[in-house]
Amino acid sequence: MFKKLTFGQYTYKNSIIHKLDPRIKIITVVLLSATAFLMNSYYKFAVFSLFIFLLMILSKINFSSLLRNLRPFFFMFLFILLMYIFFSRNELDQGIRTIWKFILFIIIASILTFTTTITNMVSAIEKLLIPLKMIKINPRTIAVLIALTIRFVPSLFLYADRIRDARLARLGNLKTPKQIKLLFLPLIERVFKSASNLSDAMLSRNYTEKRTTYFNIIRLKYYDYISLSLLLMFILFILRVV
Amino acid sequence: MIQIKNLYFKYEDELVLNNINLRLNDSSYTAIIGANGSGKTTLAKHLNALLLPTKGTVIVDEIDTKKDQFNVRKNVGFIFQSPEDQLVHSIVEEDIAFGLENIGIETDAIKNKVRTILRLLNIEYLAKKNVNMISAGQKQLTALAGVLVMEPKYIVFDEPTTTLDNKNKRNIMGIIAKLNKKDKIGIILVTNLLSDIKYAENVVVMGEGKIIFNDKKSKLNKSILKKAGLDV
Repeated sequence: MFKKLTFGQYTYKNSIIHKLDPRIKIITVVLLSATAFLMNSYYKFAVFSLFIFLLMILSKINFSSLLRNLRPFFFMFLFILLMYIFFSRNELDQGIRTIWKFILFIIIASILTFTTTITNMVSAIEKLLIPLKMIKINPRTIAVLIALTIRFVPSLFLYADRIRDARLARLGNLKTPKQIKLLFLPLIERVFKSASNLSDAMLSRNYTEKRTTYFNIIRLKYYDYISLSLLLMFILFILRVV
Repeated sequence: MIQIKNLYFKYEDELVLNNINLRLNDSSYTAIIGANGSGKTTLAKHLNALLLPTKGTVIVDEIDTKKDQFNVRKNVGFIFQSPEDQLVHSIVEEDIAFGLENIGIETDAIKNKVRTILRLLNIEYLAKKNVNMISAGQKQLTALAGVLVMEPKYIVFDEPTTTLDNKNKRNIMGIIAKLNKKDKIGIILVTNLLSDIKYAENVVVMGEGKIIFNDKKSKLNKSILKKAGLDV
């Protein structure tokens, strides 16, 4: 089930979105997510979804892998829908919009991670979080933390898959809470072991919280400013006009 | 030269390394072999200053690991058992550049060095690939590239072939031998497989936290291996 999952994984493509400055992309994700949160009419949802669809095309994202990434969230969507059906049937409409919002959030985040390498993401977050230095928080630590989380999501699913197969081979199924516990405990143990190995690997290559040089230097270009302006115009349009 | 003098290491009241004395010469190829739990990985981690002695000293080219970990790590690269857990970045070339960024190499020089290493290991085709989408053998080569690019004088390989198939295993072992013979990099290979010590000149056999043999490979015999709890 998890083997083909590529959630949050960068794929090299020659697209406009890939070339955008990662800071602009992160700001875009924040602004679009906030806009999606504020929307309520189906008409706005339709226009907004079309815009996201356009971004997907511009990013040259593989649609089938994007759909595959939505699959693990299916049960969460079903759960939300059932909650509305059982407890607040007259607001079912609200439930559908909530699920729609979640799908949009996932797609927006996927566009960012599909088109931005972790190095660029770290550099961008470091630069965006520079004000945190005033309260003695190192932005690099937060940036590396986020980047490693994205890097290790597929590994986590891979470990889960291996442990699930091993447990299924011995137990036949994983239905009771006790059997599920037998799946999660070794998984948590494996995650801690991985984290310990990774910290050793980082230290062995002289990782420190300070760094002075970069493999990729990020610089804002004219098309970054144009993109941000277009985005702001679209957001104003959708919140005020539509 | 790496010199280990009267090294003791305790972990939660358990004595893991017990009075280790060892000298590893420049450009030598030494295999450290022992059964699981014999202390060989703990010893290897002292060479890169990932662990520091409870008592005794580890000196790498006149630098005490307790005093200057940064320069020790510049001189001694470390390849871990599981390639999955040692790749930090998601793109091969970016992961290779990780160590160079940490030691403050300028951007242009980083790009040149990364390109050279990719060519050296014949993995230029992997440069833009996502590390989650390449094979275990390719991951191990990427990890090796990430260490080689820092131009270390010594490299410690901690059971580097455990997760590899026979073909990739032969490839990695061949590359390690070439790095020693051609590039004069000192190799310290930690393993529990006798088949892995094929290219080593010297062998250190460990058992229960102690060195029970330290000499030329030709002098190694079955009784020593049995004493170390290894299958002969």
